[in-house]
Amino acid sequence: MNIVLIAMILALLIPIYEAWQDDDVWQKMLAFASIATKTSIMILIVSILRDDWMIGVVGVIILSVGNAALMLLAHVIKRLNDVSRGGL
Amino acid sequence: MIDILSYGCMGIGLLFWFWGTFPLVGKRSVLFKLHSLSVSDTLGSMSIVVGLLLKIPSEWPLLVLALISLAIWNTVLGYVLAYCSSSGNEISEVGDRSEYSAGEYGVSEYGTGGYE
Repeated sequence: MNIVLIAMILALLIPIYEAWQDDDVWQKMLAFASIATKTSIMILIVSILRDDWMIGVVGVIILSVGNAALMLLAHVIKRLNDVSRGGL
Repeated sequence: MIDILSYGCMGIGLLFWFWGTFPLVGKRSVLFKLHSLSVSDTLGSMSIVVGLLLKIPSEWPLLVLALISLAIWNTVLGYVLAYCSSSGNEISEVGDRSEYSAGEYGVSEYGTGGYE
């Protein structure tokens, strides 16, 4: 299971690198969406490894709240683009 | 046997993850990356969670909750990101709004929605 976790950490590094090197806000949003999902699954794996329910519940909450916050941020950025582009 | 199955599911999930994440670093458009990313993240994560379910069935309430929230949240997030990032393009195609200047922020300040 530790190997699975290490492979997941490697998979997590790619969107982190992408978020760092790309300038477009939507590419960064994509990277953060991927980071949020991967992190919450990793938390679930750690909770199973440690046989601790509470960490698992935290992982599921992060999955829901993290994605919800990203959706809200996407709408805010869209509204900013609309306002700055056409005064809508 | 169960161990092989669960590690197999987790291996498939990891493959999906890497398959969906590699194009992220490339120079493709937002929607192209979003498609492969949301498919791979959702399916990959679900097969990892199924692998966990096989390994430790006693935690099934928590893992089923994770499966359901994955299926709902990731899918809707992919849709919202696609809608928000591409909606800017339709507005600019509607017509010239020259009287509204981009203002001091400027469009590039907040990204062009993959519309260079």
